[in-house]
Amino acid sequence: MSRRWRARLRRTGILMGLVLFVVWTLAPIVWALISSFLPLRALTATPPDLAPGNFTLDNYLGVLSADRDLIGGLRNSAIVASFTAALALLIGSSAAYALARLRVPGSSKILMLILVTQMFPAMVIIIPLFIVLSRTGLTDSQVGLMIVYLSFVLPIVIWVLKGFFEAVPRELERAAAVDGASTMQTFRLVVLPISLPPLFATGVFAFIEAWNEFFFAVILTQSNAKTAPVVVAEFSGQYVSLYGQMVAAAVIASIPVIVLAIVFRRYILEGFVEGAVKG
Amino acid sequence: MADVELRAITKRYGAVAACADVNLHVADGEFVTLLGPSGCGKTTTLNIIAGLDEPTSGEVLMGGRVVNDLTPYERDVAMVFQNYALYPHMSVADNIGFTLRLRKRPRDEIRRRVQTVAEMLELAHVLDRLPRELSGGQQQRVALGRAVIREPAVFLFDEPFSNLDAALRVKMRVEVKELHQRLGITSLFVTHDQEEALSLSDRIAIMRDGHVEQVGTPDDVYAQPRTRYVARFIGSPQMDIFSGRLERRDGVAAYVVGSAAFEIPAGAAPAYDGDLDLGVRAEHVRLNAGGIPMPVRVVQPLGSMTYVTVGWDEELLTSRLLGMAHLPPGEAVTVSLDPAGLLFFDRASGRRVLPDGTLA
Amino acid sequence: MTFDGGAAARPTGRSYLARRRRTGTLLVLPALAVLALILALPIAASLALSLMKADTADFRFGVFVGLENYATLLADPVFALALRNSIYWMVVEVAVVVVVALWFALLLNHPMGRWSVFRIVLLVPWALAPVANAVLWKWIYNSNYGILNFLGTATGVLPGPVVWLGDPALALNALLVAEIWKEIPFITLLLLAGLQNVPRILYRAGRLDGAGPWQTFRFITLPQLRTTILICIVLQSIWALKSFDLVYVLTRGGPANATTMLNFLAYRVSFQFGNLGLGAAVADILFFVMFLLALAYVRVFRPARAAERGAA
Repeated sequence: MSRRWRARLRRTGILMGLVLFVVWTLAPIVWALISSFLPLRALTATPPDLAPGNFTLDNYLGVLSADRDLIGGLRNSAIVASFTAALALLIGSSAAYALARLRVPGSSKILMLILVTQMFPAMVIIIPLFIVLSRTGLTDSQVGLMIVYLSFVLPIVIWVLKGFFEAVPRELERAAAVDGASTMQTFRLVVLPISLPPLFATGVFAFIEAWNEFFFAVILTQSNAKTAPVVVAEFSGQYVSLYGQMVAAAVIASIPVIVLAIVFRRYILEGFVEGAVKG
Repeated sequence: MADVELRAITKRYGAVAACADVNLHVADGEFVTLLGPSGCGKTTTLNIIAGLDEPTSGEVLMGGRVVNDLTPYERDVAMVFQNYALYPHMSVADNIGFTLRLRKRPRDEIRRRVQTVAEMLELAHVLDRLPRELSGGQQQRVALGRAVIREPAVFLFDEPFSNLDAALRVKMRVEVKELHQRLGITSLFVTHDQEEALSLSDRIAIMRDGHVEQVGTPDDVYAQPRTRYVARFIGSPQMDIFSGRLERRDGVAAYVVGSAAFEIPAGAAPAYDGDLDLGVRAEHVRLNAGGIPMPVRVVQPLGSMTYVTVGWDEELLTSRLLGMAHLPPGEAVTVSLDPAGLLFFDRASGRRVLPDGTLA
Repeated sequence: MTFDGGAAARPTGRSYLARRRRTGTLLVLPALAVLALILALPIAASLALSLMKADTADFRFGVFVGLENYATLLADPVFALALRNSIYWMVVEVAVVVVVALWFALLLNHPMGRWSVFRIVLLVPWALAPVANAVLWKWIYNSNYGILNFLGTATGVLPGPVVWLGDPALALNALLVAEIWKEIPFITLLLLAGLQNVPRILYRAGRLDGAGPWQTFRFITLPQLRTTILICIVLQSIWALKSFDLVYVLTRGGPANATTMLNFLAYRVSFQFGNLGLGAAVADILFFVMFLLALAYVRVFRPARAAERGAA
């Protein structure tokens, strides 16, 4: 009897824990979503007026209107993040393959170095980069931002892809060598094509990281190349009391990456999370 | 077409030697098997021949020239891998034709040659499929096809059948042997399965701990093993080997194991007295033809033959009878040894002792 | 005669493995060049810059002044405050994030918590842009209309509306809550991955030995999870010191520098006060601390991997 009670108590405890977990993790987001659909008058009422008739798209239409920079910011973010991801894949995949498979002298040291660079504070590189970019006229440009973004995206891409390439069966490379493929041909015609899903997922991950970046963007852009996070931050400073619009802007800027993260969750969980623990 | 020669091939990984002074000559058109348990260095040797691995020292020669510095492709070898190593993203046709595509052969030549190979290997109807859509046997044949289309100087097989079930393995064995008889291409075949080695090879090189223990025809290694290790590795059931003594009693030689003393006719015993190991295969153990009475311990009927195991003290000895034999366990039989099939080994070195008392 | 029999094997760089090594080096070089250019060089430059007097007026490397910038910092009470804030921030964030994440991970590793939707729930705050997170909490903390004050006063927990971000005693902690909320999910995922690597058989053995839930956790789960937890602690410490977005959007270091931390101070000195040399000095001190943490990470990482290889 008491044993069954204890088991039941345990189940209830775990259930309550899970409920608490979901509420704690999602409540701020749910509140943000609700707020983004409510007009100012409903948000400033006490208590907030959640009547179904109040829900409206006005906040979204407002922040997306032409005189706000959000559309431009989204466009800049999309361009910078896509090109950064593509560039990082281009340079990073070949380096990752070489480090994983081609027995490059010192590869384990290079890999450790790359792992460590990933942890440097952005602050330490931004000042010299800022000086160089201002002198070459690359501040407030998409190109300048892409170059700087490579500094943190490239190490991640190399490290993650290295893990994936290590899983490619050795015999496939050997078969290709026997068939007469050069090392480059083996990489291009055999290894890359069978690694397309992880390559794509790594690209998505790089895209998310670049899209969300704020520190470099706020320092390096003023008007032309402002990314979505910069616009959202500015917006929350400028239109301090347009609460609904402020939150709507944040929601819009987050939706693309959250959708990507959920769609590609399998790879993120397998490749990145477990990779960080297992190496 | 080429012969293959290994000269003093040694491969060290740190302190461990995967290959230690391997010497081997494979004649043009010959089918040679590298046989041994896992970790004996046979796959490393094959990879060194292929050019996929580098020896620490020693030379690989093909057609009389040193090929150490050549890539696998330049050596003109084709290889069939243990896990087939089919390109998973390419159709069967593209897998077989990949090497021609790399050589930039014209499209219709590739198609024609792929078609020819596919028909030879009964793959013509699956050319458009991906490897994962094929059965194990079909995948294996695609791997063969990829090697055959090259018309290479040398074929290399790295345990190609180890992922197949027993029935399929026997079937593929026939196909490979037929292929070799038809094409006559020099072949090196790595396996740990002695039956596979015996059934396929012109000659077998038995490897142990990185060196070649014996090279010889299947007949040789079966009937004239140079060492106890080879004797034990080749043949099924495994040869029974006893640690007894060879003694002379009143001028008659006898091999004494515990309480049993087997009489050895004059010509069959080496000129040697004292501790010696004796190996005898099941087909050389005669039951009920005179000799020492012993009880039957275990009977294993196998259809075409029956293994009957007799025992004394702590020792067991297995005899092979043709057909089905019905002997109840416990029944007493007389046991004698066929003098033609007795193999004596030096206990310390494991090497065979020849009738004149010298070591093989 | 190139193929002269009898000579010892001498690698001439034409073999398969030699060619692979050579191509490999060629393939690594572009990435290394890029990283050298945008990481190694700037780090070196930043170290040099911290020894100079340089400002944003002309964007150039300036006059060598030795350790003057560092001396200025050590005498500056704001620097001392920022250092204190950073340490407090790091310690509290790491402790709370790891403990709560461990609890969540245990819940999600329980058969009742295996539902895949829970993992999607974790991905949402992780993928959320940090700036969006900041804006979201700015709204939650709003002193007039924020949901926190409303719920607090409605339930009677708070006597009246609180100015969360305007009170020096509260602001840093308010930021911490927002940061911790965003950081928990990823660490939970890491710990969950670690938990799934614990061999099932250990739990079965524990149950046979009569271990209760607490004993199972204490004597099986925790020791098995040790390396993962250490990695989480080091990683989270590094990430904590990198925090910037929340401070920028919510408080800009105020009120009265209550939320000024090293990273933000370096930014403010460099780009708002225009003193690049002094800013670089702050950044380099931060860099030094994080470098030590990164070394710790590598240390923790290496034995774990070596052990794994040994077992394999």
